[in-house]
Amino acid sequence: MRAKRSESGLPPIWNWKITAISLALLFFVGILAVSFGPVSLSFQKILRTLFGLDGGLTGQERTLLIDLRLPRALLAALVGAALATSGAVYQTVFRNPLADPYLLGAAAGAGLGATIAITNTGANLYSLLPIFSFIGAILAVLVSFFISGKFFAEPNSLLLSGIAVGSFATAVQTYLQQRNSSSLRPVYSWILGELTVANWQVVTWSAIYILIALTILITVSKQLDGLMLTDEEAYSLGINPNKLRIIAVIAATLATATAVSASGLIGFVGIVVPHLVRGITHRVTNRGLLTIALVGASFLVLADLGARTLLSPAELPIGVITAFVGAPFFLVVLRKKRLVTK
Amino acid sequence: MIKVNDLTIRFGERIILQDINVEIADGMWTCLVGPNGAGKTTFLRALLGSQPYSGSIVDNGFEVYRNHDRNVAFVPQHPQIPIGMSVSEYVMLGRSKRDGWGNESSKSRHLVADILRLTGLFGMQSQFVSQLSGGEMQRALIARALVQEPTLILLDEPTSALDLHHQIAVLNNIELLKERGVTIISTMHDITLAAMYAEKIIVMHEGKVLLDGPSDQVIHSPQLQEAFENRINVFTLDSGRPVIIAKKDLPN
Repeated sequence: MRAKRSESGLPPIWNWKITAISLALLFFVGILAVSFGPVSLSFQKILRTLFGLDGGLTGQERTLLIDLRLPRALLAALVGAALATSGAVYQTVFRNPLADPYLLGAAAGAGLGATIAITNTGANLYSLLPIFSFIGAILAVLVSFFISGKFFAEPNSLLLSGIAVGSFATAVQTYLQQRNSSSLRPVYSWILGELTVANWQVVTWSAIYILIALTILITVSKQLDGLMLTDEEAYSLGINPNKLRIIAVIAATLATATAVSASGLIGFVGIVVPHLVRGITHRVTNRGLLTIALVGASFLVLADLGARTLLSPAELPIGVITAFVGAPFFLVVLRKKRLVTK
Repeated sequence: MIKVNDLTIRFGERIILQDINVEIADGMWTCLVGPNGAGKTTFLRALLGSQPYSGSIVDNGFEVYRNHDRNVAFVPQHPQIPIGMSVSEYVMLGRSKRDGWGNESSKSRHLVADILRLTGLFGMQSQFVSQLSGGEMQRALIARALVQEPTLILLDEPTSALDLHHQIAVLNNIELLKERGVTIISTMHDITLAAMYAEKIIVMHEGKVLLDGPSDQVIHSPQLQEAFENRINVFTLDSGRPVIIAKKDLPN
């Protein structure tokens, strides 16, 4: 989409229409998601129920909407927004178009943290699971830093050590799972990524952590463009690059960890969505982050709808859907090369 | 006026710069010349203020380290190519410090459009930076420095990656900065080009300043031979312009 030219002959700063369209898309996809299922609910009644008007859903249908489908769609939206945004931020901070939460070991670390929490307590830990995940994730990122030894100087060596740390964390996680076979099934299904656990408690806690992280990221996003330059250029433009990187990595890791703790490992969202948005808008982090969050949310709500309905009444893990859609998309993108490197 | 006094920089045990004492006048083009590893880039970083040092660098009365009140543009030798960033956005980054990050005043937009025309990049403003050729990228960097309206610009090997045609184009673009009263400090491998454009040359070798003076004097100084280990010949063209070429013994 080429932006309209203004009198100076330059494309405008940011076309707010694109953000508005993404918001509308998310709303539409959300209504679609809560309406479809083994029992279909009418759009009109859903809207009436949500806005508290007369003539809304009643009885079982109302319970279905409020207690099952709505929290699930909201959780999908939160997780999608978190993964897409942190993917975009990791790509900027590590100056690597292929960086995503999974390559840095953050997600695997979060998975390990959550597994330790689940296998050791078995209790419901909605409020604490994100914290365990975050500790696991931030430790994984820190270890990746120290192995690569060069912090931000060489993004590629950091990614490589991130892959190593991620594999190690996954190995430990698998070991823990096998030892605690009583909790094997819940952990296993959680790893494949699923949103069936969604209830208002999970949604509330995830929303708190993810919205904090996203607020921080969108606040600093204006300066994030400076991190795409060399440190000297960033400094000359008034930025303290290392401080900004630390803030951005911590916030992105919090978002990733919360997403992982709420829904397991869901791949490809962090790479596909940012590239898609950049390719369409021709704009980078600074102006695109909110749109990336909204599109990421829509993408995952849609993927979850597929996960629920394609094999109905059985459910597919949502990670299968995102990979099923994401991998071919990604290959097309790679082949075109336009969106990835340019 | 930038006054550098007893500037010393160490990376661990290694001494990168040692007891540098130079003065750089405002509004002039100064070239740092010397072999790889002489400490030129580190010197530029110190002048920028991002590199810790001992000694002092005083720019118009203020110590430069971590002094964000100055407006200094920096053109790196190996720029990072941002993912998915258009040329106009890239050049507009030069206004971030004035407008605040993420904002664009209408004055900035007109300035960026003007500078894009001046540097021959207008028409490419919607292209991604990653699609630019080496010469175009260098011009985009200079365009960004121009819109930054700095008092001082530091350029690290602005011409090293370019063919002769583009070297001249870029150097002429840098002269645009000088016409605006900007102080220019650049490193340059090519001492002939340095002599052609810069008013002052500082010759560095292994972290020390060997020679420091007006271009003409430096070029014809016998110490220049020492700096290049007696491996260069200096000729003077009929126009009076000096040419420095590598010495090579031809076989009989």
